[in-house]
Amino acid sequence: MPTDPAFLKIRDLIYRISGIYQSEEKLYLLTSRCGRRMTAVGAKSAAEYLEHLTTRGNRDAELRLLLNEITIGETYMFRHLPQLEAMRNVILPQVMQTKGAMGFKRLRFWSAGCSTGEEPYTLAMFLLEESAKQLAGWTFDILATDLNDNSLETARAGIYGEYALRNTSETLRKKYFKVHGEKTLQASDQLKSQIRFERVNLSDGTKMLFLKGIDVIFCCNVLIYFDLASKRRVVQHFYSNLMPGGYFFLGHAESLFQVDDTFRLIHFPGTTAYWKAPAGKTGGGKK
Amino acid sequence: MTADKHQQLQAQIKKLDSISTAPAILKPLLDILRQPAENVPFDKVVELASYDGAIAAQCLRLANSPLVGSRQIETVRTAIAALGIERVRSMLFGVCVNQVIPKEKWVLDPVAFWRHSLGCALVTQRMAKGIGYPEPDKAYLAGLLHDLGFLVNSILYNEDFRKCLKLALDRRSALGLCETEILGFTHCESGQLLAEHWGLPHELSETARYHHDVTELKNAGPLVCLVHLSDLLCRVCNLGYGYEEILSVELGRDSAWIPLVTAYPALSEVDLVRFTLDIEGAMDQIVTTVDSVFGKTAAAGKS
Repeated sequence: MPTDPAFLKIRDLIYRISGIYQSEEKLYLLTSRCGRRMTAVGAKSAAEYLEHLTTRGNRDAELRLLLNEITIGETYMFRHLPQLEAMRNVILPQVMQTKGAMGFKRLRFWSAGCSTGEEPYTLAMFLLEESAKQLAGWTFDILATDLNDNSLETARAGIYGEYALRNTSETLRKKYFKVHGEKTLQASDQLKSQIRFERVNLSDGTKMLFLKGIDVIFCCNVLIYFDLASKRRVVQHFYSNLMPGGYFFLGHAESLFQVDDTFRLIHFPGTTAYWKAPAGKTGGGKK
Repeated sequence: MTADKHQQLQAQIKKLDSISTAPAILKPLLDILRQPAENVPFDKVVELASYDGAIAAQCLRLANSPLVGSRQIETVRTAIAALGIERVRSMLFGVCVNQVIPKEKWVLDPVAFWRHSLGCALVTQRMAKGIGYPEPDKAYLAGLLHDLGFLVNSILYNEDFRKCLKLALDRRSALGLCETEILGFTHCESGQLLAEHWGLPHELSETARYHHDVTELKNAGPLVCLVHLSDLLCRVCNLGYGYEEILSVELGRDSAWIPLVTAYPALSEVDLVRFTLDIEGAMDQIVTTVDSVFGKTAAAGKS
Protein backbone atom coordinates (compact mmCIF):
# COMPACT_ATOMS: atom_id res chain seq x y z
CA MET A 1 0.00 0.00 0.00
CA PRO A 2 1.47 3.42 -0.88
CA THR A 3 2.46 5.50 2.12
CA ASP A 4 0.34 8.51 3.01
CA PRO A 5 2.52 11.49 1.90
CA ALA A 6 1.77 13.17 5.24
CA PHE A 7 3.88 10.49 6.95
CA LEU A 8 6.79 11.43 4.69
CA LYS A 9 6.32 15.03 5.82
CA ILE A 10 6.32 13.88 9.45
CA ARG A 11 9.47 11.83 8.76
CA ASP A 12 11.18 14.88 7.24
CA LEU A 13 10.06 17.11 10.11
CA ILE A 14 11.54 14.70 12.66
CA TYR A 15 14.77 14.47 10.67
CA ARG A 16 15.01 18.28 10.43
CA ILE A 17 14.36 18.86 14.10
CA SER A 18 15.92 15.86 15.83
CA GLY A 19 18.36 14.41 13.30
CA ILE A 20 16.62 11.00 13.51
CA TYR A 21 15.96 9.51 10.08
CA GLN A 22 13.74 6.65 8.96
CA SER A 23 14.35 5.25 5.48
CA GLU A 24 11.36 4.80 3.19
CA GLU A 25 11.56 1.04 3.61
CA LYS A 26 11.35 1.39 7.40
CA LEU A 27 8.60 3.99 7.32
CA TYR A 28 6.11 1.44 8.63
CA LEU A 29 7.85 1.75 12.02
CA LEU A 30 7.21 5.47 12.07
CA THR A 31 3.66 4.95 10.86
CA SER A 32 2.90 2.59 13.73
CA ARG A 33 4.48 4.88 16.31
CA CYS A 34 2.60 7.89 14.97
CA GLY A 35 -0.52 5.72 15.15
CA ARG A 36 -0.27 5.52 18.92
CA ARG A 37 0.07 9.28 19.28
CA MET A 38 -2.72 9.86 16.73
CA THR A 39 -5.06 7.78 18.87
CA ALA A 40 -3.96 9.68 21.97
CA VAL A 41 -4.66 13.11 20.47
CA GLY A 42 -7.68 11.98 18.45
CA ALA A 43 -6.19 12.78 15.05
CA LYS A 44 -8.10 10.97 12.31
CA SER A 45 -5.44 11.16 9.61
CA ALA A 46 -1.70 11.62 9.21
CA ALA A 47 -2.36 15.06 7.74
CA GLU A 48 -4.34 16.06 10.83
CA TYR A 49 -1.61 14.71 13.09
CA LEU A 50 0.96 16.70 11.11
CA GLU A 51 -1.01 19.80 12.10
CA HIS A 52 -0.64 18.81 15.76
CA LEU A 53 3.11 18.69 15.21
CA THR A 54 3.41 21.92 13.26
CA THR A 55 0.67 24.45 13.85
CA ARG A 56 -1.16 23.61 17.07
CA GLY A 57 -0.26 25.41 20.31
CA ASN A 58 1.16 22.32 22.00
CA ARG A 59 3.31 21.26 19.02
CA ASP A 60 6.59 21.21 20.99
CA ALA A 61 5.13 18.95 23.67
CA GLU A 62 3.58 16.69 21.05
CA LEU A 63 6.83 16.41 19.14
CA ARG A 64 8.58 15.40 22.36
CA LEU A 65 5.94 12.75 23.01
CA LEU A 66 6.36 11.42 19.47
CA LEU A 67 10.14 11.29 19.88
CA ASN A 68 9.60 9.32 23.10
CA GLU A 69 7.48 6.87 21.12
CA ILE A 70 10.14 6.59 18.41
CA THR A 71 12.98 5.89 20.82
CA ILE A 72 10.96 3.72 23.22
CA GLY A 73 12.38 0.28 23.84
CA GLU A 74 15.78 1.46 22.69
CA THR A 75 17.44 0.53 25.94
CA TYR A 76 18.59 -2.96 26.50
CA MET A 77 22.09 -4.27 26.98
CA PHE A 78 24.20 -5.16 23.95
CA ARG A 79 21.59 -3.53 21.74
CA HIS A 80 23.91 -2.15 19.10
CA LEU A 81 26.63 -4.75 18.59
CA PRO A 82 28.27 -3.06 15.55
CA GLN A 83 29.35 -0.20 17.87
CA LEU A 84 31.14 -2.71 20.11
CA GLU A 85 32.67 -4.44 17.08
CA ALA A 86 34.00 -1.09 15.86
CA MET A 87 35.39 -0.49 19.35
CA ARG A 88 37.06 -3.90 19.46
CA ASN A 89 38.48 -3.91 15.93
CA VAL A 90 39.43 -0.31 15.24
CA ILE A 91 38.78 2.24 17.97
CA LEU A 92 40.46 0.57 20.96
CA PRO A 93 43.63 -0.36 19.02
CA GLN A 94 43.81 3.14 17.55
CA VAL A 95 43.17 5.00 20.82
CA MET A 96 45.55 2.72 22.74
CA GLN A 97 48.25 3.41 20.22
CA THR A 98 47.78 7.18 20.51
CA LYS A 99 47.64 7.14 24.30
CA GLY A 100 50.37 4.55 24.65
CA ALA A 101 52.68 6.84 22.66
CA MET A 102 52.01 9.54 25.25
CA GLY A 103 52.86 7.15 28.08
CA PHE A 104 49.26 6.66 29.27
CA LYS A 105 47.79 3.27 30.11
CA ARG A 106 44.33 4.41 31.13
CA LEU A 107 41.23 4.88 28.98
CA ARG A 108 38.19 7.02 29.76
CA PHE A 109 34.68 6.45 28.48
CA TRP A 110 31.58 8.54 28.92
CA SER A 111 28.00 7.44 28.51
CA ALA A 112 26.27 10.83 28.20
CA GLY A 113 22.55 10.46 28.82
CA CYS A 114 22.85 6.96 30.25
CA SER A 115 19.17 6.75 31.22
CA THR A 116 18.64 3.64 33.37
CA GLY A 117 22.18 2.33 32.90
CA GLU A 118 21.96 -0.34 30.22
CA GLU A 119 24.57 1.36 28.05
CA PRO A 120 27.30 1.86 30.70
CA TYR A 121 26.82 -1.66 32.07
CA THR A 122 27.18 -3.03 28.53
CA LEU A 123 30.33 -1.01 28.09
CA ALA A 124 31.70 -2.19 31.45
CA MET A 125 31.12 -5.85 30.55
CA PHE A 126 32.64 -5.35 27.13
CA LEU A 127 35.74 -3.64 28.55
CA LEU A 128 36.18 -6.18 31.35
CA GLU A 129 36.12 -8.94 28.74
CA GLU A 130 38.66 -7.03 26.63
CA SER A 131 40.86 -6.59 29.73
CA ALA A 132 41.86 -10.21 29.40
CA LYS A 133 42.76 -9.60 25.74
CA GLN A 134 43.90 -6.41 24.05
CA LEU A 135 43.35 -4.25 27.15
CA ALA A 136 45.69 -6.36 29.30
CA GLY A 137 47.86 -4.02 31.35
CA TRP A 138 45.47 -1.10 30.84
CA THR A 139 42.89 0.38 33.17
CA PHE A 140 39.71 2.22 32.32
CA ASP A 141 36.94 4.23 33.88
CA ILE A 142 33.39 4.83 32.75
CA LEU A 143 31.50 7.98 33.55
CA ALA A 144 27.75 7.61 33.17
CA THR A 145 25.63 10.73 33.40
CA ASP A 146 22.02 11.69 33.08
CA LEU A 147 19.83 14.63 33.96
CA ASN A 148 17.07 12.54 35.46
CA ASP A 149 17.58 11.58 39.13
CA ASN A 150 15.10 8.70 38.95
CA SER A 151 16.91 7.16 35.99
CA LEU A 152 20.23 7.50 37.79
CA GLU A 153 18.81 5.83 40.87
CA THR A 154 17.65 2.87 38.77
CA ALA A 155 21.03 2.75 37.05
CA ARG A 156 22.93 2.74 40.36
CA ALA A 157 20.75 -0.07 41.70
CA GLY A 158 21.60 -2.10 38.58
CA ILE A 159 18.54 -4.36 38.78
CA TYR A 160 17.28 -5.60 35.45
CA GLY A 161 14.63 -7.88 34.06
CA GLU A 162 14.51 -10.11 31.02
CA TYR A 163 13.85 -7.28 28.54
CA ALA A 164 17.03 -5.40 29.48
CA LEU A 165 19.04 -8.62 29.48
CA ARG A 166 17.56 -10.17 26.35
CA ASN A 167 20.83 -9.82 24.40
CA THR A 168 23.13 -10.67 27.31
CA SER A 169 24.59 -14.17 27.08
CA GLU A 170 24.21 -16.69 29.87
CA THR A 171 27.97 -16.59 30.41
CA LEU A 172 28.00 -12.84 30.95
CA ARG A 173 24.90 -13.00 33.16
CA LYS A 174 26.60 -15.53 35.42
CA LYS A 175 29.85 -13.63 35.47
CA TYR A 176 28.60 -10.11 36.09
CA PHE A 177 25.17 -10.41 37.75
CA LYS A 178 23.70 -11.99 40.85
CA VAL A 179 20.16 -13.22 41.33
CA HIS A 180 17.98 -10.50 42.80
CA GLY A 181 14.35 -11.48 42.48
CA GLU A 182 12.39 -14.18 40.79
CA LYS A 183 12.77 -12.60 37.38
CA THR A 184 15.47 -10.02 37.94
CA LEU A 185 19.24 -9.92 38.18
CA GLN A 186 21.43 -7.33 39.84
CA ALA A 187 24.79 -6.07 38.59
CA SER A 188 27.63 -7.47 40.68
CA ASP A 189 29.72 -5.13 42.85
CA GLN A 190 32.64 -5.70 40.49
CA LEU A 191 30.56 -4.52 37.52
CA LYS A 192 29.14 -1.55 39.41
CA SER A 193 32.58 -0.48 40.57
CA GLN A 194 33.63 0.15 36.96
CA ILE A 195 31.10 2.94 36.56
CA ARG A 196 30.77 6.36 38.17
CA PHE A 197 27.18 7.62 37.93
CA GLU A 198 26.71 11.36 38.10
CA ARG A 199 23.98 13.90 37.40
CA VAL A 200 25.10 16.13 34.53
CA ASN A 201 23.06 18.57 32.49
CA LEU A 202 24.62 18.57 29.03
CA SER A 203 23.47 22.17 28.61
CA ASP A 204 25.47 23.24 31.68
CA GLY A 205 28.44 24.83 29.94
CA THR A 206 30.49 25.23 33.14
CA LYS A 207 30.17 21.59 34.10
CA MET A 208 30.90 20.48 30.56
CA LEU A 209 34.14 22.47 30.54
CA PHE A 210 35.51 20.38 33.40
CA LEU A 211 35.07 17.02 31.71
CA LYS A 212 38.35 16.41 29.94
CA GLY A 213 40.49 13.63 28.57
CA ILE A 214 37.68 11.35 27.40
CA ASP A 215 38.54 8.76 24.74
CA VAL A 216 35.08 7.66 23.60
CA ILE A 217 31.70 9.30 24.19
CA PHE A 218 28.38 7.52 23.71
CA CYS A 219 25.41 9.84 23.44
CA CYS A 220 22.51 7.92 21.94
CA ASN A 221 19.07 9.42 21.37
CA VAL A 222 19.71 12.35 23.69
CA LEU A 223 20.51 15.22 21.34
CA ILE A 224 17.30 14.59 19.43
CA TYR A 225 15.47 16.55 22.13
CA PHE A 226 17.72 19.61 21.76
CA ASP A 227 17.12 22.55 19.46
CA LEU A 228 19.77 23.24 16.83
CA ALA A 229 21.67 25.90 18.79
CA SER A 230 21.84 23.76 21.97
CA LYS A 231 22.77 20.71 19.94
CA ARG A 232 25.66 22.63 18.38
CA ARG A 233 26.85 23.80 21.81
CA VAL A 234 26.78 20.28 23.26
CA VAL A 235 28.59 18.79 20.27
CA GLN A 236 31.28 21.48 20.51
CA HIS A 237 31.68 20.63 24.19
CA PHE A 238 32.01 16.95 23.30
CA TYR A 239 34.74 17.90 20.88
CA SER A 240 36.67 19.63 23.69
CA ASN A 241 35.94 16.81 26.15
CA LEU A 242 37.55 14.26 23.84
CA MET A 243 41.25 13.48 23.54
CA PRO A 244 42.65 14.02 20.03
CA GLY A 245 41.93 10.79 18.17
CA GLY A 246 38.82 10.16 20.30
CA TYR A 247 35.45 9.00 19.01
CA PHE A 248 31.84 9.95 19.57
CA PHE A 249 28.88 7.64 18.94
CA LEU A 250 25.31 8.78 18.35
CA GLY A 251 22.20 6.59 18.19
CA HIS A 252 21.87 4.36 15.14
CA ALA A 253 19.48 6.57 13.15
CA GLU A 254 20.90 9.92 14.33
CA SER A 255 22.89 12.28 12.16
CA LEU A 256 24.98 15.40 12.82
CA PHE A 257 24.57 16.60 9.24
CA GLN A 258 24.60 20.42 9.17
CA VAL A 259 24.95 20.45 12.96
CA ASP A 260 28.71 20.13 13.13
CA ASP A 261 31.65 19.99 10.78
CA THR A 262 34.53 19.71 13.24
CA PHE A 263 34.03 15.99 13.82
CA ARG A 264 34.77 13.64 10.92
CA LEU A 265 32.26 10.97 10.00
CA ILE A 266 33.66 7.44 9.93
CA HIS A 267 31.74 4.42 8.65
CA PHE A 268 32.27 1.05 10.30
CA PRO A 269 30.40 -2.15 9.42
CA GLY A 270 26.83 -1.55 10.57
CA THR A 271 27.50 1.74 12.34
CA THR A 272 28.95 5.21 12.07
CA ALA A 273 30.95 7.29 14.53
CA TYR A 274 32.37 10.79 14.68
CA TRP A 275 36.10 11.19 15.03
CA LYS A 276 38.19 13.98 16.53
CA ALA A 277 41.18 13.77 14.25
CA PRO A 278 44.53 14.52 15.89
CA ALA A 279 46.10 17.70 14.51
CA GLY A 280 47.68 17.11 11.11
CA LYS A 281 45.94 13.78 10.53
CA THR A 282 44.46 13.68 7.06
CA GLY A 283 42.71 10.33 6.71
CA GLY A 284 40.72 8.15 9.11
CA GLY A 285 39.83 5.25 6.86
CA LYS A 286 41.20 1.71 6.77
CA LYS A 287 40.26 -0.27 3.67
CA MET B 1 51.03 -6.73 -12.01
CA THR B 2 54.14 -7.47 -14.05
CA ALA B 3 54.04 -7.36 -17.87
CA ASP B 4 54.62 -11.13 -17.98
CA LYS B 5 51.78 -11.81 -15.62
CA HIS B 6 49.54 -9.51 -17.67
CA GLN B 7 50.29 -11.40 -20.86
CA GLN B 8 49.81 -14.74 -19.17
CA LEU B 9 46.46 -13.64 -17.71
CA GLN B 10 45.31 -12.28 -21.06
CA ALA B 11 46.14 -15.60 -22.75
CA GLN B 12 44.29 -17.54 -20.05
CA ILE B 13 41.18 -15.38 -20.43
CA LYS B 14 41.13 -16.08 -24.15
CA LYS B 15 40.93 -19.77 -23.27
CA LEU B 16 37.98 -19.12 -20.95
CA ASP B 17 35.44 -19.70 -23.72
CA SER B 18 36.60 -23.25 -24.23
CA ILE B 19 37.09 -24.05 -20.55
CA SER B 20 33.73 -22.95 -19.22
CA THR B 21 30.44 -23.78 -20.82
CA ALA B 22 29.19 -20.27 -21.45
CA PRO B 23 25.44 -20.41 -22.02
CA ALA B 24 24.27 -19.64 -25.54
CA ILE B 25 22.45 -16.54 -24.39
CA LEU B 26 25.61 -14.91 -23.03
CA LYS B 27 26.58 -13.15 -26.25
CA PRO B 28 23.16 -11.69 -27.12
CA LEU B 29 22.77 -10.81 -23.45
CA LEU B 30 26.02 -8.87 -23.45
CA ASP B 31 24.64 -7.00 -26.47
CA ILE B 32 21.57 -5.87 -24.54
CA LEU B 33 23.66 -5.06 -21.47
CA ARG B 34 25.51 -2.47 -23.53
CA GLN B 35 22.34 -0.50 -24.25
CA PRO B 36 20.36 1.84 -21.99
CA ALA B 37 17.43 -0.06 -20.44
CA GLU B 38 14.86 2.02 -22.37
CA ASN B 39 16.42 1.08 -25.73
CA VAL B 40 16.33 -2.65 -25.11
CA PRO B 41 13.60 -4.32 -27.24
CA PHE B 42 11.07 -5.98 -24.95
CA ASP B 43 10.65 -8.97 -27.30
CA LYS B 44 14.38 -9.60 -27.30
CA VAL B 45 14.38 -9.92 -23.51
CA VAL B 46 11.36 -12.24 -23.61
CA GLU B 47 13.16 -14.34 -26.21
CA LEU B 48 16.32 -14.59 -24.10
CA ALA B 49 14.46 -15.34 -20.91
CA SER B 50 12.39 -18.02 -22.59
CA TYR B 51 15.44 -19.70 -24.06
CA ASP B 52 16.20 -21.72 -20.99
CA GLY B 53 13.54 -23.39 -18.87
CA ALA B 54 15.44 -22.71 -15.66
CA ILE B 55 15.73 -19.00 -16.44
CA ALA B 56 12.06 -18.73 -17.37
CA ALA B 57 11.12 -20.46 -14.12
CA GLN B 58 13.26 -18.04 -12.13
CA CYS B 59 11.59 -15.08 -13.85
CA LEU B 60 8.21 -16.42 -12.83
CA ARG B 61 9.36 -17.17 -9.31
CA LEU B 62 10.65 -13.64 -8.82
CA ALA B 63 7.61 -12.03 -10.46
CA ASN B 64 5.35 -13.96 -8.09
CA SER B 65 7.46 -13.15 -5.02
CA PRO B 66 6.10 -10.72 -2.42
CA LEU B 67 8.69 -8.22 -3.61
CA VAL B 68 6.84 -7.63 -6.86
CA GLY B 69 3.18 -8.22 -6.22
CA SER B 70 0.58 -10.66 -5.19
CA ARG B 71 -1.33 -11.43 -8.39
CA GLN B 72 -0.69 -14.72 -10.14
CA ILE B 73 1.73 -14.35 -13.06
CA GLU B 74 1.88 -17.27 -15.43
CA THR B 75 3.78 -16.24 -18.55
CA VAL B 76 7.34 -15.11 -19.05
CA ARG B 77 6.08 -12.08 -20.96
CA THR B 78 3.88 -10.81 -18.11
CA ALA B 79 6.59 -11.71 -15.61
CA ILE B 80 9.06 -9.48 -17.45
CA ALA B 81 6.52 -6.68 -17.73
CA ALA B 82 6.00 -6.88 -13.96
CA LEU B 83 9.69 -7.08 -13.12
CA GLY B 84 10.93 -4.40 -15.51
CA ILE B 85 13.71 -4.70 -18.05
CA GLU B 86 16.41 -3.60 -15.66
CA ARG B 87 15.74 -6.23 -13.04
CA VAL B 88 15.33 -8.98 -15.64
CA ARG B 89 18.52 -7.93 -17.35
CA SER B 90 20.59 -8.21 -14.17
CA MET B 91 18.83 -11.44 -13.31
CA LEU B 92 19.63 -12.91 -16.71
CA PHE B 93 23.19 -11.88 -16.27
CA GLY B 94 23.28 -13.49 -12.85
CA VAL B 95 21.84 -16.75 -14.11
CA CYS B 96 24.29 -16.68 -16.98
CA VAL B 97 27.28 -16.16 -14.73
CA ASN B 98 26.07 -18.93 -12.46
CA GLN B 99 26.25 -21.16 -15.52
CA VAL B 100 29.65 -19.80 -16.59
CA ILE B 101 31.14 -20.82 -13.25
CA PRO B 102 30.88 -24.56 -12.72
CA LYS B 103 29.35 -25.29 -9.31
CA GLU B 104 32.52 -26.70 -7.84
CA LYS B 105 34.51 -23.64 -8.91
CA TRP B 106 32.69 -21.06 -6.77
CA VAL B 107 35.13 -19.71 -4.20
CA LEU B 108 33.14 -16.84 -2.75
CA ASP B 109 29.73 -17.76 -1.40
CA PRO B 110 27.62 -17.11 -4.55
CA VAL B 111 24.81 -15.63 -2.48
CA ALA B 112 27.24 -13.14 -0.92
CA PHE B 113 28.70 -12.39 -4.36
CA TRP B 114 25.28 -11.62 -5.84
CA ARG B 115 24.12 -9.62 -2.85
CA HIS B 116 27.26 -7.53 -3.13
CA SER B 117 26.97 -7.10 -6.91
CA LEU B 118 23.26 -6.24 -6.89
CA GLY B 119 23.70 -4.09 -3.81
CA CYS B 120 26.47 -2.18 -5.48
CA ALA B 121 24.35 -1.79 -8.64
CA LEU B 122 21.47 -0.36 -6.64
CA VAL B 123 23.59 1.95 -4.51
CA THR B 124 25.55 3.24 -7.52
CA GLN B 125 22.29 3.96 -9.31
CA ARG B 126 20.73 5.69 -6.27
CA MET B 127 23.79 7.80 -5.73
CA ALA B 128 23.91 8.65 -9.45
CA LYS B 129 20.30 9.78 -9.37
CA GLY B 130 20.91 11.72 -6.15
CA ILE B 131 23.73 13.80 -7.59
CA GLY B 132 22.25 14.28 -11.07
CA TYR B 133 24.60 11.95 -13.00
CA PRO B 134 22.94 11.75 -16.44
CA GLU B 135 23.09 7.96 -16.96
CA PRO B 136 21.83 6.16 -13.85
CA ASP B 137 21.21 2.97 -15.88
CA LYS B 138 24.83 2.85 -16.86
CA ALA B 139 25.72 3.44 -13.22
CA TYR B 140 23.57 0.44 -12.26
CA LEU B 141 25.34 -1.74 -14.78
CA ALA B 142 28.79 -0.55 -13.74
CA GLY B 143 27.91 -1.48 -10.16
CA LEU B 144 26.59 -4.87 -11.23
CA LEU B 145 29.69 -5.77 -13.26
CA HIS B 146 32.46 -4.23 -11.16
CA ASP B 147 33.60 -7.55 -9.67
CA LEU B 148 33.75 -9.59 -12.89
CA GLY B 149 37.33 -10.44 -12.01
CA PHE B 150 36.15 -12.85 -9.31
CA LEU B 151 34.77 -15.04 -12.11
CA VAL B 152 38.15 -15.20 -13.80
CA ASN B 153 39.96 -15.90 -10.54
CA SER B 154 37.44 -18.58 -9.56
CA ILE B 155 37.61 -20.43 -12.85
CA LEU B 156 41.23 -20.03 -13.88
CA TYR B 157 43.05 -19.74 -10.55
CA ASN B 158 40.69 -21.71 -8.36
CA GLU B 159 43.10 -23.16 -5.80
CA ASP B 160 45.13 -20.01 -5.36
CA PHE B 161 42.00 -17.90 -5.19
CA ARG B 162 40.74 -20.16 -2.38
CA LYS B 163 43.98 -19.41 -0.56
CA CYS B 164 43.37 -15.68 -1.08
CA LEU B 165 39.92 -15.92 0.45
CA LYS B 166 41.20 -17.96 3.39
CA LEU B 167 43.94 -15.42 4.04
CA ALA B 168 41.49 -12.51 3.80
CA LEU B 169 39.14 -14.33 6.13
CA ASP B 170 41.89 -15.04 8.68
CA ARG B 171 43.13 -11.48 8.59
CA ARG B 172 39.65 -10.03 8.11
CA SER B 173 41.22 -7.77 5.52
CA ALA B 174 40.36 -6.64 1.99
CA LEU B 175 40.43 -9.50 -0.51
CA GLY B 176 42.40 -7.48 -3.08
CA LEU B 177 45.43 -7.23 -0.79
CA CYS B 178 45.57 -11.00 -0.42
CA GLU B 179 45.12 -11.51 -4.17
CA THR B 180 48.17 -9.35 -4.84
CA GLU B 181 50.13 -11.35 -2.30
CA ILE B 182 49.19 -14.79 -3.62
CA LEU B 183 48.18 -14.37 -7.27
CA GLY B 184 50.33 -11.38 -8.16
CA PHE B 185 47.26 -9.54 -9.49
CA THR B 186 43.80 -8.66 -8.23
CA HIS B 187 40.24 -9.26 -9.41
CA CYS B 188 40.38 -5.66 -10.67
CA GLU B 189 43.02 -6.51 -13.25
CA SER B 190 41.45 -9.80 -14.28
CA GLY B 191 38.03 -8.11 -14.35
CA GLN B 192 39.26 -5.49 -16.77
CA LEU B 193 40.68 -8.15 -19.09
CA LEU B 194 37.44 -10.15 -19.04
CA ALA B 195 35.37 -7.02 -19.70
CA GLU B 196 37.60 -6.26 -22.67
CA HIS B 197 37.39 -9.86 -23.86
CA TRP B 198 33.61 -9.67 -23.71
CA GLY B 199 33.67 -6.36 -25.60
CA LEU B 200 32.01 -4.35 -22.84
CA PRO B 201 32.23 -0.55 -23.17
CA HIS B 202 35.50 1.04 -22.09
CA GLU B 203 33.96 2.80 -19.08
CA LEU B 204 32.79 -0.56 -17.69
CA SER B 205 36.17 -2.24 -18.06
CA GLU B 206 37.76 0.84 -16.51
CA THR B 207 35.37 0.57 -13.55
CA ALA B 208 36.20 -3.11 -13.11
CA ARG B 209 39.90 -2.19 -13.13
CA TYR B 210 39.99 0.86 -10.86
CA HIS B 211 37.04 0.53 -8.51
CA HIS B 212 39.31 -0.10 -5.51
CA ASP B 213 41.83 2.63 -6.27
CA VAL B 214 40.76 5.54 -8.42
CA THR B 215 44.06 7.33 -7.78
CA GLU B 216 45.68 4.99 -10.30
CA LEU B 217 43.69 6.81 -12.97
CA LYS B 218 44.97 10.19 -14.12
CA ASN B 219 41.51 11.71 -14.34
CA ALA B 220 39.00 9.44 -12.66
CA GLY B 221 35.56 9.85 -14.23
CA PRO B 222 32.37 9.97 -12.18
CA LEU B 223 31.34 6.38 -12.96
CA VAL B 224 34.37 4.71 -11.41
CA CYS B 225 34.18 7.09 -8.43
CA LEU B 226 30.50 6.24 -7.90
CA VAL B 227 31.22 2.51 -8.01
CA HIS B 228 34.19 2.87 -5.67
CA LEU B 229 32.07 4.66 -3.05
CA SER B 230 29.15 2.27 -3.51
CA ASP B 231 31.42 -0.73 -3.06
CA LEU B 232 32.65 0.74 0.24
CA LEU B 233 29.12 1.57 1.37
CA CYS B 234 27.95 -1.96 0.59
CA ARG B 235 30.84 -3.41 2.52
CA VAL B 236 30.09 -1.27 5.59
CA CYS B 237 26.40 -2.19 5.26
CA ASN B 238 27.30 -5.87 5.61
CA LEU B 239 26.94 -6.57 1.90
CA GLY B 240 30.58 -7.54 1.48
CA TYR B 241 32.14 -10.76 0.25
CA GLY B 242 30.57 -13.00 2.87
CA TYR B 243 33.11 -12.57 5.65
CA GLU B 244 33.48 -9.99 8.39
CA GLU B 245 36.00 -7.48 7.22
CA ILE B 246 37.69 -5.03 9.58
CA LEU B 247 36.89 -1.78 7.91
CA SER B 248 36.70 1.90 8.72
CA VAL B 249 35.99 4.36 5.99
CA GLU B 250 36.02 8.13 5.86
CA LEU B 251 33.95 8.70 2.75
CA GLY B 252 34.13 12.49 2.94
CA ARG B 253 37.90 12.37 2.47
CA ASP B 254 38.05 9.40 0.16
CA SER B 255 40.07 9.74 -3.04
CA ALA B 256 36.90 9.15 -5.10
CA TRP B 257 34.84 11.65 -3.15
CA ILE B 258 36.94 14.67 -4.08
CA PRO B 259 36.73 14.43 -7.92
CA LEU B 260 33.08 13.46 -7.65
CA VAL B 261 32.09 16.36 -5.43
CA THR B 262 33.99 18.72 -7.74
CA ALA B 263 32.01 17.47 -10.76
CA TYR B 264 28.72 17.14 -8.86
CA PRO B 265 28.50 19.71 -6.05
CA ALA B 266 25.08 18.26 -5.10
CA LEU B 267 27.05 15.45 -3.45
CA SER B 268 28.17 17.78 -0.67
CA GLU B 269 24.49 18.19 0.22
CA VAL B 270 24.09 14.46 0.81
CA ASP B 271 23.79 13.48 4.47
CA LEU B 272 25.88 10.31 4.42
CA VAL B 273 24.31 8.92 7.58
CA ARG B 274 20.89 9.32 6.04
CA PHE B 275 22.06 7.82 2.76
CA THR B 276 23.53 4.85 4.61
CA LEU B 277 20.25 4.32 6.45
CA ASP B 278 18.47 4.39 3.09
CA ILE B 279 20.81 1.69 1.82
CA GLU B 280 20.26 -0.39 4.93
CA GLY B 281 16.55 0.03 4.35
CA ALA B 282 16.92 -1.29 0.80
CA MET B 283 18.90 -4.33 1.98
CA ASP B 284 15.78 -6.41 2.46
CA GLN B 285 14.87 -5.82 -1.17
CA ILE B 286 18.33 -6.90 -2.32
CA VAL B 287 18.36 -9.96 -0.10
CA THR B 288 14.86 -11.01 -1.26
CA THR B 289 15.80 -10.54 -4.92
CA VAL B 290 19.01 -12.52 -4.60
CA ASP B 291 17.47 -15.27 -2.53
CA SER B 292 14.49 -15.70 -4.81
CA VAL B 293 16.61 -15.76 -7.95
CA PHE B 294 19.89 -17.30 -6.93
CA GLY B 295 19.22 -18.73 -3.51
CA LYS B 296 18.53 -22.32 -4.48
CA THR B 297 21.04 -22.40 -7.32
CA ALA B 298 23.69 -20.87 -5.12
CA ALA B 299 23.00 -23.12 -2.19
CA ALA B 300 23.31 -26.10 -4.50
CA GLY B 301 26.58 -24.69 -5.80
CA LYS B 302 28.02 -24.50 -2.32
CA SER B 303 27.51 -28.12 -1.45
